[in-house]
Amino acid sequence: MLKCTINGKPVEVKPGTSIIQAFKQLGEEIAHYCWHPALSVAGVCRLCMVEIEGNPRLQIACNTTVAEGMVVTNQSEKVKDAVKWGMDFHLINHPLDCPICDQAGECGLQDQYMKFGKYDPEMAEKKVNKRKVVDLGERVVLDSERCILCSRCVRFTEEITKTNELGIFNRGDRSEIGTFEGKPLDNNYSVNTVDICPVGALTSKDFRFKQRVWFLKDKASICNGCSTGCNVEVDYNKEGIWRLRPRYNEQVNGYWMCDVGRDVYKNVNRVHTDVEGERGEKQVKKSISRLVQAVHRLNGQSEYMQTGFAVSKVRETLSQYKKGDVALVVTGQQTSEEYEALLSYFTKSFAADDVFHWQNNPEAWGEFDGLLLRGDRNPNTKGLIKAFEKHKVKSTAWTQDLGKYKLVLLVAPENLAAYPNIREKADLLKNNKTVVVLTTSQIPEFANLPDETWQIPMKSFMEKAGTFVNFSGLEQKFAPVTTIVDAAVSADEFVAALNGQALEQVQKIYTNPTERVENQFIFQRGSL
Amino acid sequence: MMSFQLSSEGQEFVKKELKRYETKESAIIPSLYRVQKENNGWVSPEGIAHLSQLMDIPEARINEVFQFYTMFNKEPVGKYHVQVCCNVACSMAGTREMVEEFCQEHGVHENEVTSDKRFTFTRVECLGACDKAPMMQINEDYHEGLTMDKAKQILRGLK
Amino acid sequence: MAEVKMLTEHYADNNFQTIEGYQSKKGYEMLKKALNMQPTEIISLVKESGLRGRGGAGFPTGMKWSFLPNNGEDRYLLCNADEGEPCTFKDRMMMERAPHQLIEGMIISAFAVQSKKSYIYIRGEYTHAIKVVEKAIKEAYKAGFLGKDILGSHFSHDMDVYSGAGAYICGEETGMISSLEGLKGQPKLKPPFPAVKGYLGKPTIVNNVETLASVIYILRDGVEAYRKFGTQKSPGTKLFSVSGDVMKPGNYEVPLGYKMKDLIEIECGGLKPGRKLKAVIPGGTSAPVLTEEEANRATLDYECLADMKSMLGSGSIVVIDDSRCMVDLLGVITHFYHHESCGQCTPCREGTGWLNKVVNAIKAGRGSQQDIDTLCKIADNMKGRTICALSDAAALPVLSFVPKFRSEFEYYIREGKSQVRGISYAEMHH
Repeated sequence: MLKCTINGKPVEVKPGTSIIQAFKQLGEEIAHYCWHPALSVAGVCRLCMVEIEGNPRLQIACNTTVAEGMVVTNQSEKVKDAVKWGMDFHLINHPLDCPICDQAGECGLQDQYMKFGKYDPEMAEKKVNKRKVVDLGERVVLDSERCILCSRCVRFTEEITKTNELGIFNRGDRSEIGTFEGKPLDNNYSVNTVDICPVGALTSKDFRFKQRVWFLKDKASICNGCSTGCNVEVDYNKEGIWRLRPRYNEQVNGYWMCDVGRDVYKNVNRVHTDVEGERGEKQVKKSISRLVQAVHRLNGQSEYMQTGFAVSKVRETLSQYKKGDVALVVTGQQTSEEYEALLSYFTKSFAADDVFHWQNNPEAWGEFDGLLLRGDRNPNTKGLIKAFEKHKVKSTAWTQDLGKYKLVLLVAPENLAAYPNIREKADLLKNNKTVVVLTTSQIPEFANLPDETWQIPMKSFMEKAGTFVNFSGLEQKFAPVTTIVDAAVSADEFVAALNGQALEQVQKIYTNPTERVENQFIFQRGSL
Repeated sequence: MMSFQLSSEGQEFVKKELKRYETKESAIIPSLYRVQKENNGWVSPEGIAHLSQLMDIPEARINEVFQFYTMFNKEPVGKYHVQVCCNVACSMAGTREMVEEFCQEHGVHENEVTSDKRFTFTRVECLGACDKAPMMQINEDYHEGLTMDKAKQILRGLK
Repeated sequence: MAEVKMLTEHYADNNFQTIEGYQSKKGYEMLKKALNMQPTEIISLVKESGLRGRGGAGFPTGMKWSFLPNNGEDRYLLCNADEGEPCTFKDRMMMERAPHQLIEGMIISAFAVQSKKSYIYIRGEYTHAIKVVEKAIKEAYKAGFLGKDILGSHFSHDMDVYSGAGAYICGEETGMISSLEGLKGQPKLKPPFPAVKGYLGKPTIVNNVETLASVIYILRDGVEAYRKFGTQKSPGTKLFSVSGDVMKPGNYEVPLGYKMKDLIEIECGGLKPGRKLKAVIPGGTSAPVLTEEEANRATLDYECLADMKSMLGSGSIVVIDDSRCMVDLLGVITHFYHHESCGQCTPCREGTGWLNKVVNAIKAGRGSQQDIDTLCKIADNMKGRTICALSDAAALPVLSFVPKFRSEFEYYIREGKSQVRGISYAEMHH
């Protein structure tokens, strides 16, 4: 270990540590744009200037390794002046269009300007004009004028995805990020470039113009898009979830997440309209809605009711049946806690052999894209298999008609995009007298089964606490983010009610009413 | 997209260059020269797409190199690309006036192609012939120790 | 006449370009001598000779060579022939007139640093020089001076030419390495320095054309004889490219330490009749300009010009007489650096453009007296803040032109026209 002093504080670091890493280790602030812990050192933004005792020239912290006894500061007037001018060079050609920029509120330029701004601009010349709205690919838009050419996005496509779609073309202050005609940025990790863009140059088509970030809150969660279980940050407000961003976990996903995973929040919102096609052109819209109320359907008539009432009715029906009358169908989309509740209830009341595993695409489960996305698009297949083993359940893959059962209790998948064969599965249920479906979304195929159907609104993964066991067997616990559908229950709450507890007593609601009030206050103030 | 393909000799050349240096990326510059030579003095996006395929190097990487160097022309140029040095020694010797005169006489702006497709006039930086200022480079050839009349005469003498 | 023709002795002889002509003047004799020496002996000789890099920075060549790590990795020798510093034209002449001199100097140097492969990176505009050097390399291979087991010495060496494509920044040694690697010619972060991790991450020595050729004469004459020319800290002779307002511009080889005034008045035939010396740019456009008074007492060596807060640089001297407008000349220079900034470091990318815009605003009559201070502030903050020295190179002319000729700038701003020429350059800027 090497001893050094940073801003007067002693710190010990491993040999080979750069000064900027030592700053981070110590929790000392240091301005920087181009440095990113997961990318190669570019050393171009020239903001992480430090003064090293005995060296008359300022050095950049990202490309200088700590030496024994080094005394480093970024608090001297010399450094502050250099950063101030560094900021000014970044800003002289920047459009300063913060009022219409999605990055506002989480922008590196704004943040550093508050600390190092010259506040007295000396630039009196015409700015360099560049391209404003450049469609880089399916999910990312570029504003070249806002770009500070830190090259993070370019290094990301070179070093992480190795797809090389992006480049910096031309030179000097004419340089621009871009793609080559016909080779758009369309790899499955493209939105990470938006995350690592320190300014508003790269924005996500999905998120832009939808929310001001200061109206959003964030909470930690785990992506349920596949068996990797990337750690995510969920940005939400009282209206719903707005975006997911990767949360660093060295063991699981590093700094990244995939674009497929970015979309899983859409299953959580009450209505999610997926807009395809360019603005102004012909748009294709498809919308999926959450199931917000329990529905009982019999003889073609639908009746909407309180969840608690519906569950008590289901309980009454189940009480008439014995072993062999009831089947349970589950997917790898639920939490381990839900599996435990479901299987202990079911194996006690009915037959362990009558549990069926709905597998969406088992032939692809071994696939892996080399980065994060796995072929098993379920977050908790491992957890389910563990629960099967514990409860000595045979776990039959669901491929057969379940007509021989009087009642089928089906826990439907949350991420419908990963389950393309719903129509076929619904056909396997058309000979059943009663089907009880726990589902987060409205699934038309299951709503119109021939005989009696109960649809119970189920909580999405962001509305409950739980555990996902990822492909490698790593158990990841997560806390609820918020409640979107008040009427929804988790499978374990549902089971508790089947076991006779009052639903009102077990059902947890996670929206803090004060959050709503706060947000409303801000909205009102904003509209004055 | 209009397609562009190197001649078979051109493709052979690229293949040889790919093996000539320690890395195949080093062949990008010589290959771009070749495309420029076979494409009337400039490189089109199709030329880059063609090289990308031929060399198995991503388009963005080739395009970065292409856009970085000034000797690769990004737009069509005339049959005679007249590059007039306007750096210190040459501009002291009157080359800026010379470019303006050329443009006026041929009714074009700088970097445009004359209507007869014969000329493009471009100001360039120092070409390392300052002792013979003023000077200009027409395609590959240096013309040094010019005067306005001498320069015009050279242009008139071009077929 | 103080011209000392060491490197340029036979340049007038057209036959010197060919291998026969070169050998008839004892060419490749020093290679034979070198191959019978220990590589470390040659390095020691070069160190003792005090030879300093002729490309611009003036770094001691022998010391550079001794930075190579002894880790068994392949080493590369690169010749920097990307002569891009405005108003420099000595390397072009050397390559066109004496390609074998460069090749011999390179093989000796390659043997000294034990490199098996070298490249001569020539700027793309020098089409003629490229052809001449390529032809000469073929001749050298044929004569057995290149290739496997050179002259039975067990030393093998391959040499090739690489043509640039128009980028000043490729004259910066790491920019050149990037370019040779097939990337944009953007300088690389230092450390690591090329001697440790250079071309393809391997130990690499980058030397200028003139530096490599000089090695031959150190071997031929010995350290003592070589050091007879020049000063203690700047030994040897050097080529100076003189251009601008002199009667006989051209390349002149003189001993370092020679008086600038003498070079201008004796070798270059003085100024044009009736004109008076106003200023001199002593080492390429990035070298701070000297006033008449400074030029008259300057000697052509690294230390004198450093004392004058300028530099010898590449040895290109632009003589400026009293008919020239300094505002206009600075505009030509700021345009150049704006055009050539590679764009990776923010202070340089944005600063070069900003400087150029302010100077252009002044030239167009839109300037304000405040602009004078703004120019200096911008330039001050571009210095020493970037990966390579281009940013400094862009700042230094501003920081010398403006303070040294401040009244001309003030006049131009006040009157909207040049004090010297009486005209406005509004229509003529780039």
